[in-house]
Amino acid sequence: MGAGVLFLRQALAARPCRALVAFATSRRLLRTSPPSRAFAKQLFLGKIEKKEVFPFPEVSQDELNEINQFVGPLEKFFTEEVDSERIDREGKIPNETLEKLKNLGLFGLQVPEEYGGLGLSNTMYARLGEIIGLDGSIAVTLAAHQAIGLKGIILAGNKEQKAKYLPRLASGEHIAAFCLTEATSGSDAASIKTRATLSEDKKHYILNGSKIWITNGGIANVFTVFAKTQVVDSDGSVKDKITAFIVERDFGGVTNGKPEDKLGIRGSNTCEVHFENTKVPIENVLGEVGGGFKVAMNILNSGRFSMGSLVAGMLKKLMEMTAAYACTRKQFNRNLSEYGLIQEKFALMAQKTYVMESMAYLTAGMLDQPGFPDCSIEAAMVKVFSSEGAWQCVSEALQVLGGSGYMRDYPYERLLRDSRILLIFEGTNEILRMYIALTGLQHAGRILTARINELKRGNVTTVIETVSQRLRDSLGRTVDLGLTGKLGAVHPSVADSANKLEENVYYFGRTVETLLLRFGKTIVEEQMVLKRVANILINLYGMTAVLSRASRSIRVGLRNHDHEVLLANIFCAEAYYQNLFTLSQLDKYSPENLDEQIKKVSQQVLEKQAYICAHPLDRTS
Amino acid sequence: MSWAQAILLARGLSWGWGGICGAALTRAPFSQAPLWAPRGLHRSATACNSDSWLVPPSPEPPKGPPKAPAPHEELFTQALGGTRDKANFVRAVQNFGQHNVYKRGHVDFIYLALRKMREYGVERDLAVYNLLLDVFPKEVFRPRSIFQSMFIHYPRQQECGIAVLEQMESHGVMPNKETEFLLLQIFGRKSYPMLKFIRMKLWFSRFKNINPFPVPRDLPQDPVDLAKLGLRHMEPNLNATVTIYQMPSSKDSTGAADPTEPHIVGIQTPDQQAALAHHNPARPIFVEGPFSLWLRDKCVYYHILRADLLPPEEREVEEIPEEWNLYYPMQLDLDYGRSGWDDYEFDIQEVEEGPVFAICMAGAHDQATLAKWIQGLQETNPALAQIPVVFRLAGSTGELLGSSSGLEDPPPPPPEGQEEEEDNQQRQQQGQS
Repeated sequence: MGAGVLFLRQALAARPCRALVAFATSRRLLRTSPPSRAFAKQLFLGKIEKKEVFPFPEVSQDELNEINQFVGPLEKFFTEEVDSERIDREGKIPNETLEKLKNLGLFGLQVPEEYGGLGLSNTMYARLGEIIGLDGSIAVTLAAHQAIGLKGIILAGNKEQKAKYLPRLASGEHIAAFCLTEATSGSDAASIKTRATLSEDKKHYILNGSKIWITNGGIANVFTVFAKTQVVDSDGSVKDKITAFIVERDFGGVTNGKPEDKLGIRGSNTCEVHFENTKVPIENVLGEVGGGFKVAMNILNSGRFSMGSLVAGMLKKLMEMTAAYACTRKQFNRNLSEYGLIQEKFALMAQKTYVMESMAYLTAGMLDQPGFPDCSIEAAMVKVFSSEGAWQCVSEALQVLGGSGYMRDYPYERLLRDSRILLIFEGTNEILRMYIALTGLQHAGRILTARINELKRGNVTTVIETVSQRLRDSLGRTVDLGLTGKLGAVHPSVADSANKLEENVYYFGRTVETLLLRFGKTIVEEQMVLKRVANILINLYGMTAVLSRASRSIRVGLRNHDHEVLLANIFCAEAYYQNLFTLSQLDKYSPENLDEQIKKVSQQVLEKQAYICAHPLDRTS
Repeated sequence: MSWAQAILLARGLSWGWGGICGAALTRAPFSQAPLWAPRGLHRSATACNSDSWLVPPSPEPPKGPPKAPAPHEELFTQALGGTRDKANFVRAVQNFGQHNVYKRGHVDFIYLALRKMREYGVERDLAVYNLLLDVFPKEVFRPRSIFQSMFIHYPRQQECGIAVLEQMESHGVMPNKETEFLLLQIFGRKSYPMLKFIRMKLWFSRFKNINPFPVPRDLPQDPVDLAKLGLRHMEPNLNATVTIYQMPSSKDSTGAADPTEPHIVGIQTPDQQAALAHHNPARPIFVEGPFSLWLRDKCVYYHILRADLLPPEEREVEEIPEEWNLYYPMQLDLDYGRSGWDDYEFDIQEVEEGPVFAICMAGAHDQATLAKWIQGLQETNPALAQIPVVFRLAGSTGELLGSSSGLEDPPPPPPEGQEEEEDNQQRQQQGQS
């Protein structure tokens, strides 16, 4: 392996990489069209922003060759040298493994090349993520280091900060951690208790407070810490605002608790970090003083898209292992693979993997476009879909494996444990659904304001227009948003699915309008409605991604593109019917809408804080 | 108490239904007549008065000489040698059967036994009721023809059977299969006791759990436990913590605690704690009480710590901070709200009240005791040290107190304390102003 690593280091360090970056910049220069509006937001208006998602983003042959050069050795390293079982058992990544990861350059994948990183584009980062995802603990350690830990310096740091910290972070000499969560503050920034006060000589901030559940907290040397500071507002009033700091462990007063004992990703280091009178020089303020909230939001929003490919990589591996078992295990003289219920599970795994892969690379491609497009909704959708897909697929795989899936002697149960965290961290899926729905509704609400105000005022023309549109809709109109047809964006093989998508998108737009009309800004309180809106949107985005990818695969003639067509059509059909159901649930008077009953049940349970039904064996006499 | 209401309701219904069924059976033009008329004929001189003909409340027969013992009284007086418990009661009933092979006078005996049940503490014992029903001779009163069942067959015995069931009902005893079997054997399927039984089965099961705030049947005797129960009963929030600020000093007293060291038990929810912490120290808070709370047949008294409602101009409008949620917007920047179409808020005239910060129950209702409570509260509510506390204690809570003096409750606060406390209150208020 030594030779392989050496080769890789050379490959990474030398020419190809530079070429890669050069290429990336040149490509950015090539596209000069103004950044168009984000795709997902337009879906809320019932429109498909075709330019954004068709054709499916491609990388050039050169770029592909470069990346394949290190994909091979990296894959070899992960399959042969990383002992996931041992990492899980010992609760620690061995030092030699960490060293090799550093030598491979995996600690600076997205650090710009001038600071010693690889400067990979988002697409390339996603590609490597597929391999890193083979071990949950390593993936989380690396993600905490570079997707959130040092991301703040890349996004908000000034030149001096970048020059000072990034090279050593990129080489892995220093490890970064992201310190936001506190015992009293999860997503609630207002309740952050850690405080930084300016020292008398105004050269330092004195940092005091405790952060919990910090990934890499025990091994990191550089922390991105968020703390409350007093800021004088423009109107002269003094306010507590959040500021981000770069804190080195050597500043003193930084201690950490013992590593937490976790369900999964046991090899990653998670612990409490305490700051006690830590002196942070003022040049280590990240961004502006009082601007920490935006920094935190940007970091969190930027890191999410990579989960799609991470999970896809893991699932691909899992499918191989599970399929091997299903094709050899005999019951009643037949292989498991001959039974319909087992086949169904593999189809599900293939479909989920295909969709999340498509979504992840579509999003990465969008992010790589010039002009720093805002794809935070798309990234959140990728995260939600892939984390839930991971949990579902791993669970189904365990079902195929039966008893051996449950035994610690096999790797499968570890995958299940590892994948559970995906639904929770980087913003729980519930919170991200709120984000997806509310951000989109805000966009749609602004645009529809004039129209809705007219409707509310009872403007006759608008009302008649709306009513007649509804009438036409209810009589069953065929929706054509221009995806299909002679010069359509999608290939005729998936034209049916594209029509389904168009129909869904159109009626989704109508529903959004109705919802805004009904609830206005108070829709923030209607979380069950918002969840459904988010679910529809995730499905729509998934459909778009697979249609776009399958069309490209057919047109460029990729291997097994007929398989892709099958997967795309299955997913689109399923998502279509799901969406129809969800749309009808969003209808106020539909029998599918059980919100009132659901609320009542939970209210009664929570009032008593217990399951309140009498025992089935109870009698009154 | 809605449980009691339910029973009353059930009784009322069964009355009404009885009337209707009776009318239907006898085709009489008015409902209650067929039931009442025969009763008059067969009325036992010893058993009934017109008010409570089912279970005469007094042991003395109303028309007899005041000291004359009821028939079969000797069975119970014999048993008096022992204690008044279930075993002796059962023995008395069994003795009746042994001494009286022909069961002569069994109706009178059953009425007598029903009256005695409370004395013996068996009024809630289903087995005893079944034993009583078992005193009836079997098969004799069963109607054998359609005419017999149309005109009440053995009305006095049926009345007596109903009386047994009625007493069960008023004590909330649910009849079981054995009861049904006995009634079948004694009166047959088409009889009034059986009808009563079926109605009890129907309505008992519907009303048994109708009270969403059930009080245990046997209340704790210890005043501290009773206070805990009462406080938990008043405070719906399950996360509230009950604190015993002071245990009664003398353990031997059952009801009335030692006046120097009465028990003090308080309850406070986390929300109340938070509200108290945010209370403006410039505004006084009040200890008010005692207010009465009935738990079954016991009356306990509680005090509350409350503040006045803030005047509208001082209320803080809850603002959504700009930088609050790291993940999603907490409010949408739109200028239109919920449409009337989706507005389910009814137009209710609500009388707003000031916040209640804590409740306590104490063995004594004087200011010294309650001041100890406030001191105890300060440990968990440091803000309380800065807030002026005004004691607004009523000397008496009126007639409820007076009527409850016969029970085991602590005696009502002495009326002479009233002036003093009012003086205190005035002094305090003057101190505030």
